[in-house]
Amino acid sequence: MCIFWNGAFCNGIRVLDATKSIFLTNTEDYPVAAQANLKTSSNLSLKLEHVSKKFGDLTVLENLNLDIQPGTFVAIVGRSGCGKSTLLRLISGLDQPDTGAVFYDDRIHRRLNGHARVMFQEARLLPWQRVLDNVRLGLGKEGKDRALEALKHVGLEAKANEWPSVLSGGQRQRVALARALVHEPRLLLLDEPLGALDALTRIEMQQLIEKIWLETGFTAVLVTHDISEAVTLADRVILLDDGKIDLDVSVDLPRPRHRDHPRWIELEEEILHRVLNKPGK
Amino acid sequence: MSRKDLFPKWIAGITGWLLPTALIIAWAVAVQNSWLSSQILPAPADIVRSAINLTASGELAKNIAASAVRAGWGLLIGGSIGFLLGLFNGLSRTAERFLDTTVQMVRNVPHLALIPLVIIWFGIGEAGKVFLVTLGVFFPIYANTYHGIKTTDPQLIEMGRVYGLSPWQLFSQIIFPGALPSILVGLRYALGLMWLTLIVAETIATSSGIGYMAMNAREFMRTDVVVLAILIYALLGKLADAGVHFLEWRILQWHPGFRRH
Repeated sequence: MCIFWNGAFCNGIRVLDATKSIFLTNTEDYPVAAQANLKTSSNLSLKLEHVSKKFGDLTVLENLNLDIQPGTFVAIVGRSGCGKSTLLRLISGLDQPDTGAVFYDDRIHRRLNGHARVMFQEARLLPWQRVLDNVRLGLGKEGKDRALEALKHVGLEAKANEWPSVLSGGQRQRVALARALVHEPRLLLLDEPLGALDALTRIEMQQLIEKIWLETGFTAVLVTHDISEAVTLADRVILLDDGKIDLDVSVDLPRPRHRDHPRWIELEEEILHRVLNKPGK
Repeated sequence: MSRKDLFPKWIAGITGWLLPTALIIAWAVAVQNSWLSSQILPAPADIVRSAINLTASGELAKNIAASAVRAGWGLLIGGSIGFLLGLFNGLSRTAERFLDTTVQMVRNVPHLALIPLVIIWFGIGEAGKVFLVTLGVFFPIYANTYHGIKTTDPQLIEMGRVYGLSPWQLFSQIIFPGALPSILVGLRYALGLMWLTLIVAETIATSSGIGYMAMNAREFMRTDVVVLAILIYALLGKLADAGVHFLEWRILQWHPGFRRH
């Protein structure tokens, strides 16, 4: 599979598993890959220690410990109300844990900062700014070329001067993805960004996200209720139940992943089975 | 094919004027046949004649200018205060707690009820009239600015924070543009109230303005001039409204509801 924007450079790389370090150290064979990975060579490592969060009397997360290696793609799945979105908000710094702490590169993370970017379930584009200006949000005057480049990566450079209101749902999410990528985040947090899309657009978006992640290699945390999406994209799937980690499996399938691969089916079954056999209270 | 395509553009453009034109024709016919005494309502032709005479003497222009100056100052002062206070209360909880009750109480006093007091305070000069217009335009602009700021999508504000916008950028790129549709609605209401207030204010002892022109004409039973004054108010109101329409069209291009098809 071609993992770069232009297919000419991707002759050698076919099978990439979860160990991104191989990908990173072999870059001398692939000059473009080396370039692409330079800027994100310091992917962020993420750690949560004894994190708890309550809303009133309701305990949403309880004494959660999690260690995420730099450059990995982690999916967090679970029933609605299991605390997965809360977890993502704690990781981003939008909310603070009641006890415990979130660490970025072993340093306590308290406030929102430039390392992490979030893609929400809704695209959250500013309707009064044209697509290009939405992408360069927070970049200042000189961001125009970078924003155009990011739009090109998501295949929407032709829509740069449109208003967001004329785009389809999938296109809006692609613009939101470009807006996140233009900052070259070391950590990309995805809060069910494909949840509102139709099935076909969703698969296209999954492929796009995978392609961009393979090229730039940021650390990614995806919250989703779609287990097949998690198994397709992630190196590691974490199942949250009742504020605790119920299952933590690594997905050792080659990319691109095919949904008819026996191991893929097996993994999806396993996780789904686990979710369904734990009826909520 | 949609129904719109059945009519050429120019017909769509004049449909709004069909009814007023028909009314004027009916009126002219009624006066012509003496169904209506010209003491009650003068013939349209008389009004046109007096309009021409007053224009030629320069009196009309002088009076319109005097009214426009009052309206302009009132709008500028009242609008600015309303806008700033709306921003202030919309953005700061403390300010809101402190000021909103007062503003809401004052809002419920009809500002025209203050005329006797205004005459005592300011006499019969320009200041009193500008003051009344200021009061009139203040509230709609205040209320709509406040409402617009309060109803800015919190999800967008959160997104802005995640994307590292400074407080000023949050305001200028998210909160203010989000509040603009509402602020422009406030401006439209304010313009309506601006003329209304002016009509009343100019009937208090004055020596210039359209209201003065009308009051003066009443003394001499010149109904044609009185009706002319009323028509000028109507036209000025329409003009102000068209101005806001233009602003909406320019500023709210992004909004599907304001886009021209």
